[in-house]
Amino acid sequence: MIDMTGDLVHEDTSFDLVAPARSRWGKIRYVFGQSKSLTAGTVLVGVFILLALFAKFITTHDPNDVLVGPPLSSPSAEHWFGTDKVGSDVFSKTVAATALDLRITASAVLVALVAGVLFGTIAGYYGGIVDLILLRILEILQSIPTLLLAMMVVVAIGPGELNVVVVMAFIGMPYYARLVRAEILTKRHWEFAEAARMVGGSPIRVAFRHLLPNSLSPVLAYASVNAAWVVLVTAALGFLGIGIEPGTSEWGSMIARGQSEIITGEWWVSVFPGLFVLILTTGFYLLGDGVRDVMDPRSRK
Amino acid sequence: MQSGVSRQFVTRVLLVVPVVFGVVTLTFLVSRVFAPDPVALYVPPQADEQLRQEIRARLGLDKSIPEQYAVFLGDLVQGDLGESTITGRPVTSDLWDRLPATFELALFSLTLAIVIGIPLGVIAGARRDGPLDFSVRGITLVGMALPSFWLGLVLILVFFVILGWFPGPVGRLPLGATAPEKITGLYTLDSLLAGDWGMWWESLRHLVLPGVTLGVVVMAPITRVARASMVEVMRSEYIRTPKALGIRRYVIYFRYALKNALLPIVTMIGVIVGFVFTGAVLVESVFNWPGMGKYGLDAIIKSDFTALQGFVLIASITYIVAFFLVDMVYMIIDPRTR
Repeated sequence: MIDMTGDLVHEDTSFDLVAPARSRWGKIRYVFGQSKSLTAGTVLVGVFILLALFAKFITTHDPNDVLVGPPLSSPSAEHWFGTDKVGSDVFSKTVAATALDLRITASAVLVALVAGVLFGTIAGYYGGIVDLILLRILEILQSIPTLLLAMMVVVAIGPGELNVVVVMAFIGMPYYARLVRAEILTKRHWEFAEAARMVGGSPIRVAFRHLLPNSLSPVLAYASVNAAWVVLVTAALGFLGIGIEPGTSEWGSMIARGQSEIITGEWWVSVFPGLFVLILTTGFYLLGDGVRDVMDPRSRK
Repeated sequence: MQSGVSRQFVTRVLLVVPVVFGVVTLTFLVSRVFAPDPVALYVPPQADEQLRQEIRARLGLDKSIPEQYAVFLGDLVQGDLGESTITGRPVTSDLWDRLPATFELALFSLTLAIVIGIPLGVIAGARRDGPLDFSVRGITLVGMALPSFWLGLVLILVFFVILGWFPGPVGRLPLGATAPEKITGLYTLDSLLAGDWGMWWESLRHLVLPGVTLGVVVMAPITRVARASMVEVMRSEYIRTPKALGIRRYVIYFRYALKNALLPIVTMIGVIVGFVFTGAVLVESVFNWPGMGKYGLDAIIKSDFTALQGFVLIASITYIVAFFLVDMVYMIIDPRTR
């Protein structure tokens, strides 16, 4: 198993090794054929990405306009999801919010992943005192229940899209770091790593070029779960009125605005944005399950 | 063997100390360094600078951050979490008064989750890919993806507005009703002890919707873990043997397999117990349930940082203690960790 060039003797979890040699399209079909969850998750998340990208063409009314119809009218051909108490179109607002929530999710997951992987690789590879300190910091961050930490920090630094992203990334980061650290720790003395060192690879090169690519599969599966969490917490913060600036179309704050109408029977104001949250989160969880199915042969049928 | 266990116990306790210390420090930093000037809560906007200074001095905010930190730690060690700006009472007594409401809610939902969730997960995992497994997988997936506050609203819509079976979101008792005499603080228990059946029925009816909301949210991960853990265990040889011997299925599932599938389930229950405060914030806010979560949320909305800090500290320490207990349970049920 030792490749004397010291390069890329990767022992597992690359899509190329999972799928037998075929055309690119064949490979994609093979991978998706492995897992129904992966297919379902990809479709669901894909639909939301399309909704977000083409929001302008899909919305039937201007989402920020008031009195586009009579206030609190029930779902109809003109207003698919009805109207809220200022007469805005709930369908258009819900679709417009898709772009915002997906943008927050994508940025938060990306930042958390990159920062976490960086920390985790360093801690796992160097070990010793660096590892000890980093691990304690991560442990402290993880000891505060996540939603509470998010609430506290958002209140402290103020509402706004960027602030929500920063907070979500900050809270998500330790989980990636611990995952990567554990992977690197178990693999840093495997033959392919030793070989890379033997031919003169610098520690940084060995850690990032050889160990990291071999440790990424649990990270990818986790990214999906993390995305689901970000969607839920963003909605929760919006619902509590502390996330995004008041007045922005965001699913959580839309649900909060319809809260009093639930009692009086105008259910559509809250129910539809909540359904969107539910479907998107389900999509992310399915995607996560799917990635795990494909990467871990044991959970396959 | 005995000394090994107690030595491990001591090591674990020592490991918890720096984490608790770190959490305390982090909470302090977030609430002091970033927080808006709390003086604004006490004085009208036109107040002059001298009055503001006086109030700052009285709150101890004229000192440097390290000095404030020392004072904060000193108070904390004596069990003093400071005074709430809104209620004007010590945060500890505020929280103590609201503990039973949250405890009652948490107990109801956890019981629900464990009693229904674990058997469901165990049977689903034992008969992998059967029809029950398929439905359980679907239900837990949706359960994990549900925003709890939204589920609460949907339950109110269906069971209060449309069907009228359960009361609306007015808290623990009908509006205007007086609470039973406080013995435990759990209304369903206190009313029983007082022999007041009408009160018991009312308090139970008010508990059902918020309890089920939180219950569904915590049941999903417990069921999922129970299922996954059983799938793993059912592959092993000590399950194949009793199967071959013709021992009844449910005896195999619950007596042989569950015992070995228990570790991840216990961990998840620990995580869930730690999670209860977070869940309580959202569910209590939807149902106007006067518990600790609602208190924490009010503290946020009214920028009462002393109260928020106290709530977050208590929640985090519960979290840490829950994990610590999980470790202890591990040592008891898994001889390998000794």
